[in-house]
Amino acid sequence: MSPSVPGRRRIVRRGLRTPREELADATAHGHVYLRGLQRQQLTLSLLALVTFGAIFGVLPLALYLVPAFARLELFGVPLGLWIVVVPMLPGFVLIGWIYQRRADAADEAFRELVER
Amino acid sequence: MIVALVAVAGVTLGTLGLGTWGMRFARTTSDLLVASRLVTPWWNAAAISGEYLSAASFLGIAGLEMQIGASALWQSLGFTAGYLALLLFVAAPLRRYGSYTIPDFAEARLHSPTLRLVAAAIVLVIAGFYLVPQLKGAGLALNVVIGSPYWVGVVVVAVIVAVNVALGGMRGITFVQAFQFWIKVFAIAVPAILLLIHFGGLPERAALFGRSLPHAGSRGLTVRLGSRQRAQFPQAGSFIVHGQTVHVRAGGWVSLPAHTPISIPPGGVVPVAAGTPALTGARWSRPVGGTGQGAPVLVYSLLIATFLGTMGLPHVLVRFYTNPDGYAARRTTVRVLGLLSLFYLFPAIYGALGRVLAPQLYITGQTDDVVLSLPRIAWPGAGGTILTAVTCAGAFAAFLSTSSGLLVSLAGTFSHDVWPRLARGRPQGASLRRLHFRLAALGAVVIPALVALVAQGVDIAILVGWAFALAASSFCPMFLLGIWWTRLTARGAAWGMVAGMLVATGMIFAGLALGEPTGGALALLEQPAIVSVPVAFATMIGISLVDPLRVSDVEQQMLALHAPEGLGLRLDDEERAQLLA
Repeated sequence: MSPSVPGRRRIVRRGLRTPREELADATAHGHVYLRGLQRQQLTLSLLALVTFGAIFGVLPLALYLVPAFARLELFGVPLGLWIVVVPMLPGFVLIGWIYQRRADAADEAFRELVER
Repeated sequence: MIVALVAVAGVTLGTLGLGTWGMRFARTTSDLLVASRLVTPWWNAAAISGEYLSAASFLGIAGLEMQIGASALWQSLGFTAGYLALLLFVAAPLRRYGSYTIPDFAEARLHSPTLRLVAAAIVLVIAGFYLVPQLKGAGLALNVVIGSPYWVGVVVVAVIVAVNVALGGMRGITFVQAFQFWIKVFAIAVPAILLLIHFGGLPERAALFGRSLPHAGSRGLTVRLGSRQRAQFPQAGSFIVHGQTVHVRAGGWVSLPAHTPISIPPGGVVPVAAGTPALTGARWSRPVGGTGQGAPVLVYSLLIATFLGTMGLPHVLVRFYTNPDGYAARRTTVRVLGLLSLFYLFPAIYGALGRVLAPQLYITGQTDDVVLSLPRIAWPGAGGTILTAVTCAGAFAAFLSTSSGLLVSLAGTFSHDVWPRLARGRPQGASLRRLHFRLAALGAVVIPALVALVAQGVDIAILVGWAFALAASSFCPMFLLGIWWTRLTARGAAWGMVAGMLVATGMIFAGLALGEPTGGALALLEQPAIVSVPVAFATMIGISLVDPLRVSDVEQQMLALHAPEGLGLRLDDEERAQLLA
């Protein structure tokens, strides 16, 4: 076992380097792999943010501009009150849950790529 | 109120005892790391929610709802949505990065000891701001439980928490905090549900959603004031004092004497204390546009502050490191969303019931008390007494858990980040550091306690809103840009945080100096996030782009933030712990 063994192996496998080696050595290729994952995750997060904004972000404006909508009653309580208190339970959890599954899947795909 | 006193003492001693007992099992950082492998996302989520639910959530939202109407309920939506922002942009990368505190992250990511000091200073300000309303809540709660003056509760809880943190109790114990969460859910849900059943739903729909102003019930109401109080009759009405009936015209001000029964005749309109708006049910129940604070721009400013501020709360982030990896951090955060949504269903019920069943709180102006005193006022006899004891115990659980978490952050930041810089290179042993932590814990509670004594008149929910606005204008841009943008530089981050802080605090104090401004753009002074957050982001990006001093190892930093675990590309926790040991 001479200390030069790892170096020699590396030379032998040049051209067939795995993504893991590229990443560990911070090469230009590794850079591309990582940037791909990062961009994918950011896109996913922004998508979830836009969904959230489209559903909950417009609520205050909608309730302000259309007071009649807020005055509709459900079980004797104005809809405006229901909207502020209740829908976050299913709404937030659903957006969060779908995002979490997608983000985990993206991480897993990256892991498979690297461990290939 | 012996029942309430027993309940409060029980929760307090139980929490302190469990915390001290639990500490035996988790002495060192690596112990905590090893133990964290056994903690499931559900336990972790309950613990995070337990530490998070503070006086603002337990008392403040219902109190502000009773006072200004349904627009106060955006707070609970924002407090929950903050965890969605955390989930989408921060939870997994920050966990993977492995810095334990915000100043740690700032220094490691951008290689700047100066930035660490800036971040530490901001942690001190935010945690201090957040501690004030907890102590204020304690003053109110003890007043309801044993009738003590306001300052007694502030001082008692400040001393208990400071001594407990200094002695090393209740530090980051997952199971204690999880237990606290379920105490709080029980304490807010059970009385609310029983009250709704007792009254057969929401009574007095006219006062809630119709044209009525707050008024006395069918048997009239009698109130005894602790101090002389000025109040205004929004409509012509009358009250009885010393056996004499006094008639007041609409809009008339009266000065109500202390320590003597004042009666409002059955169905009569109640006078409201200065600073409390008198609203019809229709305006009260409008989530947007019903009152000054319900103006759309203020609602959005509040939502921005809470949505982006949650990720910058120092005591919350530390808890994310008990997740074993980035995947678990995501899973935990989704569960936090569910648990918080469950809790926030209930404060709204107290605000609504309080408006019709406890209108005397409008006379005294103490709407912040509503969760504590509503059961006792609305339901005379044993039922109400027991339920008030339950809500008081839950409120104390909220003060203790949140203020302990905050004080640990304050003392830790001071002894770990600030003091070593001031001491300039003198070597420090572990025992000396522990001594500094203890002294810092005792000292750090003093200023917030003094501020709490002065801030008796400011609503809890507004005080907490400021802490969120500060966090959103400083740490939020640092995290979002630090995690997702490779060009951020230390100088950009420092100036961005300073600019955000200056704008936000400047607006808040200008608002205080002007008295509570209600009209137009000036009202934004109370809710500064919609201005200060864009300023912070713009400064951070602008200065980073012109800064020639870039971060040298940005590829390694991005790898540490974003690469999934288990690839052998970086140090895992166990290796890190071995290096630290």
